[in-house]
Amino acid sequence: MKFDLHIHSCLSPCANLEMSPSEIVQRAVAAGMGGIALTDHQSARNTPAIAECARRAGLACLYGLEVCTAEEVHTLALFDTTEQALAMTDWVYAAMPKRVNDPETFGDQPVVTWDDDIVEMEWRILAMGCRKTIPEVSAKCHELGGIYLAAHIDRSAFSVYSQLGNIPSDGAFDAVEISRTADETIWLPKAEGYAVTRSSDAHNLDDVARVWTEADLPAFTTAALKAAFAARTTRPSPRLTTF
Amino acid sequence: MTAAEICTAVNGTIAVEVADAAATGVYVGDLLSDIMGHAGEDCALVTIQNHLNTIAVCTLVGCAVIVLCHNRPVPPDMAEAAAREGVAIVVTPLSQYAAARALSALPPAEH
Repeated sequence: MKFDLHIHSCLSPCANLEMSPSEIVQRAVAAGMGGIALTDHQSARNTPAIAECARRAGLACLYGLEVCTAEEVHTLALFDTTEQALAMTDWVYAAMPKRVNDPETFGDQPVVTWDDDIVEMEWRILAMGCRKTIPEVSAKCHELGGIYLAAHIDRSAFSVYSQLGNIPSDGAFDAVEISRTADETIWLPKAEGYAVTRSSDAHNLDDVARVWTEADLPAFTTAALKAAFAARTTRPSPRLTTF
Repeated sequence: MTAAEICTAVNGTIAVEVADAAATGVYVGDLLSDIMGHAGEDCALVTIQNHLNTIAVCTLVGCAVIVLCHNRPVPPDMAEAAAREGVAIVVTPLSQYAAARALSALPPAEH
């Protein structure tokens, strides 16, 4: 089964407004994905919409958010249900600055329905980090029944390597992610024994499922992924070398 | 101090030029949340955070000059946003501390 665990919708201020849940699901199905995860910055408020789109398309879906921690490290918290993801969102929101987003500065943040109507504009600044540290976010994610990944560890900003110099070895993470262009001959050794995934981190439609991770999963669930991570049986797709 | 004067002081090069960009104080920080919470208006921001979001934070706090240390490259999307928002970027080979020392004629800009 191929899956893309890191996709942004229009709710993320830096994502293209064309990233509606319905379009994302269509692209993922066309690309042959067996499952996807929606991971907007600091928020899972578009997961109910994509859950309905995925249900209609028969696509397996996980529901998550890309949490920017107090260390300003980007991390993925993934769940089996929208309720879990929204509970995580509430917890992250409570630890975020109370400043109001300026769409001109950071971008629009629409919460949408499955059929592309805008419900409201999220007012918080989703581009900013929260006050919770990696160990705290990890503990909350696991308490809610989720899995926790270090995002794009190869990137020079907002990654464990850029912010901390290494990957915390305290068991906070279930796996790590390398980005679409990361050279696996360099970054697999730097994963420090963690299971490695590759996902698109798509911010526009053409990037959805351009890279992926493959594993033999009995079902596309966090439990099955966690077992595959523990067994180190996830296989990242080849990196992109052309754009 | 104008951006040009700051550039000279830190032995830097102007990566994004903005007419009339200037600073009345200095703030040093690499975490955007810290910069947003503490940097004072009209500061020169001494940082290694070469990311698009740094420009957004500068517009929020009213910072018109970034001093990017260790010759970090300016990504194209960051340069575009800086030009659009009127934030000058000076790139220097100096570290954050060395750059701050070179700008010691300016007071701390924090709140």
